[in-house]
Amino acid sequence: MNNQALTPESTAETREIVLAARAAGSRLLPAGRRTWPGAGGWTRDGGTTVSTSRLDAVHHYEPADLTLTAGAGIGLDRLARIVGPNRQWLPFDAPGSSAGTLGAAVASGTSGPLRNRYGATRDNVLGLEVVTGDGRSLRIGGRVVKNVAGYDLVRLFTGSRGSLGIITRVSVRLFPIPEADETLLFAGGPSEAVSMARTVCTSEVPVAAAELVEGEEVGADRAMVLAVRLLGGPREVEESRRRIRAALGTEPWRALDDGGSRRFHAARIGWEEGASLVARLAALPDRIDAAVAAARACATRANGAQGSAAITADVLQGLVRVRAALPDFDPTRLAETLATARREMEALGGSLTLSHAPPQVGARVGWTGSRRETAALTDRIKALFDPDSVLAPRCP
Amino acid sequence: MSAAADSLAHAVKEQEEGLLNCVHCGFCLPACPTYRRLGDEADSPRGRLHLMRAVVEGRLDPGSEAFQTHIGRCLGCRACEPVCPSGVEYGNLLELARHVGGEARRLSLLTRLLLRVFGTEWLARPAMFAGRAARATGIPALVTRLLAGSAPPRGPRLGLAMLAASGPMRGLRAAPAGSGSPRPGAAARATVGLLTGCVQAGLFSRVNEATARVLEANGYQIVPVDAQGCCGALHAHAGDLEAARAMARRNVEAFEAAGVDYLAMNASGCGAAMAEYGSLLSHDPAMRDRAAAIAGRVRDVSELLAACGPLRGSAVRMKATWDAPCHLVHAQRVSSPPQTVLDAVPELEVLPLAGATECCGGAGIYGLTHPHLGGWIGGDKVRSVVESGADILVTGNPGCMMQIGAGLRLAGSGVPVLHLVELLDESYRRAGLYHGESDHGNGSRP
Amino acid sequence: MIPGRLTKELARICGRDAVIVDRDRLLVYESDALTAYRHRPGAVVLPRTTEEVRRTVQAVVRHGLPIVPRGAGTGLSGGAVALNGAVVIGTARMNRILAIDAPNRRAVLQPGVINAELSAAAAVYGLYYAPDPSSQTACTIGGNVAENSGGPHCLKYGVTSRYVTGLTVVLADGSVVKAGGQGREAPGYDLAGLFLGSEGCFGIATEIEVGLLPVPEGVRTLLGIFDRIEDAGRAVSDIISAGLLPAAMEIIDGPTIRAVEDSVFAAGYPTDAEAALVIEFDGLEAGLDHEAERATHFCLRAGAREVRSARDEEERLALWKGRKKAFGAMGRIAPDLLVQDATVPRTTLPAILKGISEIGKRYNLIVANVFHAGDGNLHPNILFDRRDRDELERVEHASKEIMQLCVDAGGTITGEHGVGLDKKHHMPLIYGPDELDTMWGIRRVFDPGAVMNPGKVLPEETEPLHANPGQDPASGELVGAPAPA
Ligand SMILES: Cc1cc2nc3c(=O)[nH]c(=O)nc-3n(C[C@H](O)[C@H](O)[C@H](O)COP(=O)(O)OP(=O)(O)OC[C@H]3O[C@@H](n4cnc5c(N)ncnc54)[C@H](O)[C@@H]3O)c2cc1C
Ligand code: SF4
Ligand code: SF4
Repeated sequence: MNNQALTPESTAETREIVLAARAAGSRLLPAGRRTWPGAGGWTRDGGTTVSTSRLDAVHHYEPADLTLTAGAGIGLDRLARIVGPNRQWLPFDAPGSSAGTLGAAVASGTSGPLRNRYGATRDNVLGLEVVTGDGRSLRIGGRVVKNVAGYDLVRLFTGSRGSLGIITRVSVRLFPIPEADETLLFAGGPSEAVSMARTVCTSEVPVAAAELVEGEEVGADRAMVLAVRLLGGPREVEESRRRIRAALGTEPWRALDDGGSRRFHAARIGWEEGASLVARLAALPDRIDAAVAAARACATRANGAQGSAAITADVLQGLVRVRAALPDFDPTRLAETLATARREMEALGGSLTLSHAPPQVGARVGWTGSRRETAALTDRIKALFDPDSVLAPRCP
Repeated sequence: MSAAADSLAHAVKEQEEGLLNCVHCGFCLPACPTYRRLGDEADSPRGRLHLMRAVVEGRLDPGSEAFQTHIGRCLGCRACEPVCPSGVEYGNLLELARHVGGEARRLSLLTRLLLRVFGTEWLARPAMFAGRAARATGIPALVTRLLAGSAPPRGPRLGLAMLAASGPMRGLRAAPAGSGSPRPGAAARATVGLLTGCVQAGLFSRVNEATARVLEANGYQIVPVDAQGCCGALHAHAGDLEAARAMARRNVEAFEAAGVDYLAMNASGCGAAMAEYGSLLSHDPAMRDRAAAIAGRVRDVSELLAACGPLRGSAVRMKATWDAPCHLVHAQRVSSPPQTVLDAVPELEVLPLAGATECCGGAGIYGLTHPHLGGWIGGDKVRSVVESGADILVTGNPGCMMQIGAGLRLAGSGVPVLHLVELLDESYRRAGLYHGESDHGNGSRP
Repeated sequence: MIPGRLTKELARICGRDAVIVDRDRLLVYESDALTAYRHRPGAVVLPRTTEEVRRTVQAVVRHGLPIVPRGAGTGLSGGAVALNGAVVIGTARMNRILAIDAPNRRAVLQPGVINAELSAAAAVYGLYYAPDPSSQTACTIGGNVAENSGGPHCLKYGVTSRYVTGLTVVLADGSVVKAGGQGREAPGYDLAGLFLGSEGCFGIATEIEVGLLPVPEGVRTLLGIFDRIEDAGRAVSDIISAGLLPAAMEIIDGPTIRAVEDSVFAAGYPTDAEAALVIEFDGLEAGLDHEAERATHFCLRAGAREVRSARDEEERLALWKGRKKAFGAMGRIAPDLLVQDATVPRTTLPAILKGISEIGKRYNLIVANVFHAGDGNLHPNILFDRRDRDELERVEHASKEIMQLCVDAGGTITGEHGVGLDKKHHMPLIYGPDELDTMWGIRRVFDPGAVMNPGKVLPEETEPLHANPGQDPASGELVGAPAPA
């Protein structure tokens, strides 16, 4: 499939490709650098990949405005190198790879733990240029940080996963890199860690992000580690550190300062890499214990003989993820486990969605829970932008 | 001032100037008790101003149902004024609007009757006397208790209950008659003329007496002002500006003649009206400056007390809650002095009152002219008083005392209503500040 | 006027006192806070529940009438104005806070809840609702959702859309749709996000779930006084470039300072200054002084004549006073105001401000500017008197030129007030036919019959031909003289 990828060099070229595909009745799969193919079950077999990897120019960057406009194919790593010297960054830490593209990050629309401090991906996308499935090229939003002119199509495209159009250009809001970046790692047994997480959730300390991770992934000898990230001015961070320690009544197992903290979190972005099953369990933050338990059950079942399954939780958002490699597994039993977990989560008012799964499992369990009431709207939106289904299937 | 100059055209012109200040921002909507309950913008300050502007622009007939209903439904509580970023003088505009509306359509029979009674001394006296007599028989209290129940207070039930509520609070011993002798050694402070008012002189003579005692105890010198009369507030609020102006002139002259430093008010409705005599008589070249000068000396009794300390009395071990009268807090913007006075009562526990600055629905004769809405607003006030957990409700305006007191009784609550000075007076009496007698030791400066 | 049968039907659904049809009474609903546009609605309905809204929508649509949602009517773009005798559905009675879920820092509300009252209710738990439009004591959360409102503190905290986690919406066909909901991942299109800022054209939000934040522990407020507005603009840029993130940065220009100081609201700003810059930091006490010192340094370096700082809440309010009272003060010097709301890249601020003042001079109009400098969101206020026909015309020209100027600098026509009636004719300045076409399309996804708030946001001349024949092109003209009763 790699060798058939089309790599347009301009929006106009992208448009020609779409128009040609539409005329020929063929299918296209929008993609970035394809570091993360097949995510979410929204892609499908067949079709030609259109990669934005060559649309990677920086069109506009005015550091004092803290905004940047670039081609969708620019790698997040390269973007960081461009804005870094001005002590600026784009705090996108959604699961994926740092080699992923800006356009793909917007198209997938997921957010990482920093969402708590900086808002979700969609809060920081200011404008887009897209080529829709019916071959129109649209410029929506703008490059100023506040803009309510017209309906918010930018939000619609953020997270639309290539089902409405191919994103060719993106304007984003940047942030100053905080003077201090620190991560405190608290280790504990499974229930201890969860209870620490809940304490952090309700504390008044302005925590930038908080994640539960498997102890062994970070070399701790306890089952779980709670990673609390503090960002801000040095005094604020120092005070926060003091208060977090007081609130938890314990010393951190380890404290990572600037470089260490950044490296730790950069590594977390790739946590899902190589997994063939990724499930996301969401609940209100005060039910994180139930979500962690349900996730653990899935992980245990998915483990099979290999035992590589793991969980992680973004405790401030109430989001728990399960990852498994699944070299050998029983699809029926796995599907049952996932279905049970989904029922449990839905009973709590939460949800379970699959971002990666073997097709037979995905088909059996369903990638998402049912959201029938919005189905009619969703169909009409899909029809508005991609009436002939040239692009990826509509979002569920 | 000639009646011709005071014509409709003049009032309309005057409104236009004031109305243009309204930028239509809507900041006043949430402050308005009628809008909060009804949710109709025609019952909001901005809506009412818009109706007035429509009249000025010739788009609306002042006799129309809409104008009459919504201008009529305004409590005149002026909660909309402090929140207005543009400083619209709503109270003044309302009076003019009522005036215009009144010209276009006669006031309702009930309103006219009530105004007649309050404004005419020879009529007011017997009416008040009859009221006092009825109260003495205990009949209103009895009827109120029998009637106490679920429905919001309104109509004749409310009238009776109001009368019952105006009696002195049980448990607080009636203070000794006569005025308190000034504390020995207290330097003679300013001279003060007390507005005795029409309602106070009738039903609330004990509040007047307490006012005089506490002021004297704090060193003020009370000067009798015999020629005074009704302040005219009710007439102005109802749009009968001509009558209000006549009363204002009489009072300006009376207090001028007395030559006092301050005019002490224990009825905030009267205080607000007298503080605005300057603008009320602004078209009368002969009176304008004199009225403004007198208006500038108007003080609520709590302000006079707060300005001097005030002297502390003896403990009153009760839980009290303070209801801020609209015409004190919104119209006169007096909010902290009553707290200072409450603080002068040792061991009084002051509990917060939800919606303390919202109108009680009394608004002069509102409860009688708009029984349903007045009852609704009053009912909410009563509920929050009961929920506050206080043993006594303290306020600063006889109208509010009657309205809330009546509501409390009808709701079957035993919480009595006191005027702020009555409470302080009791504390002073216990401290033996008046005749050297003492229950709990001597009063002291904080 | 609406047909008597409909009146009866609505009264059956919502109660007699919830249906207003008297023409005189309806006068008060003829405009929002932008009084340049006046159109009397056909009726006003005040439902209390989602179900009442649903049935009201069905009944009105069945009679072929359009619908306009209305919150507190504090909008500044004519959004809640009812064109063509539309029926207004007001949310004034839908003002209950349904739940405050403190452990999860969220609240569920009816749309008529007033912004500041949510924060007041949440304060008991040490929480507050971050988006703070200057109108927050009066505007409703439903209106905030429809306009995606911002506010002074959105510089640090972001606008409404960042805090709305779920919506229940009644659509034109009478269906009730739920989108989002915290604790649930909403895979698929971000329908809640799309609804935000849709200005009442997609449906009526009847239940809103929002996120709350812990009340910041400390606040530091500074007021820089400048002799040249460009210097104030440079201080803003320098502070941002240095990596400081103030909660708010607001500029009050010379004409505004003088308007405020000449009014009864005098805030003690020097009248010969050309700009006052309010800067606020909040967060943990530790570190605030340090940040305030650094910001003071940048102000002085940029040429501030003095920098005042507030020690307590009283002083803080005093520093803010000139900003908060500006709108009202301007109302006192002119009978009418036209407020613009363009956003420009921050770095272009000095040039744009100069350009705006030149346009004002050219048209002989007073243009006073108070704005969210940190976001580059301008609020030029054009002062006028609608009774002066000639002036009215000049206002229209000047306002258009200001808009063009901002767009040419890479900006947009509205940063927070919305397009509404006022700016719909300026939409082609920033969007081409394809974009406008698409917006018409997305509107039809939610509201195929164009019954929800028609005549807003999109200029009718751009409406694709195939859609909605028979829809009366609604007027978007300034009202020169009082409309006939
Ligand atoms: C002095 C002043 C200062 C202001 N400052 C700011 C500011 O700092 N930032 C800012 O962003 N705005 C500001 N505004 C503008 C205004 O307050 C906001 O736009 C506010 O969100 C409007 O809320 P509202 O309840 O008054 O809505 P309305 O004016 O009643 O309606 C606004 C729009 O929302 C729609 N609508 C209302 N409720 C609903 C609902 N439940 N469902 C669907 N649609 C609905 C209406 O149809 C209309 O299109 C200011 C206004 C004034 C007068
Ligand atoms: S005076 Fe009171 S009732 Fe009347 S409009 Fe103002 S706030 Fe409302
Ligand atoms: S607050 Fe003042 S300016 Fe605003 S609408 Fe009310 S009266 Fe008018």
